[in-house]
Amino acid sequence: MSDRDGLERGYRRLLACYPREFRRENEEEILGVLLATAADGQRRVGVAEAADLIRGALRARLRPPRQCPPAVRAAVRLMYVGAVLELGVWVTVIVTQASVRSAVLARYPGLTAAQWHAVWLAHLLPDEIFAPVAVGVWLWMAWAHRRGLYWAGVVFAATFGLATLGMLTALAQSAATFAPADLVAASAMWMVHGAAVLLIFSKPSASFFQPNPNARIFRVADSRP
Amino acid sequence: MQEATFLILTALAAGSQHGYGILADVAEISSGRVRLRPGTLYTALDRLRGDGLIAVDREEIVEGRLRRYYRLTDEGGRLLAAEAARLQANAHAALSRLNPAGGMAT
Repeated sequence: MSDRDGLERGYRRLLACYPREFRRENEEEILGVLLATAADGQRRVGVAEAADLIRGALRARLRPPRQCPPAVRAAVRLMYVGAVLELGVWVTVIVTQASVRSAVLARYPGLTAAQWHAVWLAHLLPDEIFAPVAVGVWLWMAWAHRRGLYWAGVVFAATFGLATLGMLTALAQSAATFAPADLVAASAMWMVHGAAVLLIFSKPSASFFQPNPNARIFRVADSRP
Repeated sequence: MQEATFLILTALAAGSQHGYGILADVAEISSGRVRLRPGTLYTALDRLRGDGLIAVDREEIVEGRLRRYYRLTDEGGRLLAAEAARLQANAHAALSRLNPAGGMAT
């Protein structure tokens, strides 16, 4: 009996990853099926079962509602790509730090440790801090666009403006000479960003976004019988 | 249409079934090749309900647990029929080209 209780607790912990609405509709039922398909004497959630539940939870969370026009769906997908690329930029900045330093030193052999520290503080550290924040912003934007929130497009366009400024600043600071890998990664992301902005502001997307902040017609549950 | 979706709709084509029944039926229809897991099944059922292809037929409480029966909607039936016809046409074309002499019979 206690084996079963432990197993049920394990399943419930994983089911907690699903969106609240999905759980309200389906949790008890999935739990019943999970317990029915569990092997006799099974005490722990299997790896494959756990992977399946986590994959299902991710799908349920990331799926745009079906009223979402294809252009917005594509834009939301690009935002996930942006989050992944941003993560890539973060890793690139950290991994290439040494080569950026040697490139700078090759150009300015007399650079002291203190001066390098100042360069690092001014140019590399902000990137290292900013990148994880930017991953969060990408995911937040994807969330807002999936829901068709009226302010999402404006905020997203503003982030594109900031990204463009960032790119221009990096170019002005000779990033191409000292940090080519970082610049390539940032350019790829900038293009994804731009493509998503174009999709969001394309004609078929316009009707999806609510002009009225109080309207909540895009909640999937509301349209169910 | 993904194969899992096709098999779930096929499992419901003959009558309503609950989640566990669909899992078993999908395995049987695919001769054991496709074994859906509960997470995959319910994510698909939730989506199919949202798209209006299936609906809840009735709910029962068995041994203290909710058991919900799903059925195909008219729209789901139409979509499944169209997909089945498409697959059949493709299969027919493939078989008739592989075997031009006897493949065009019937």
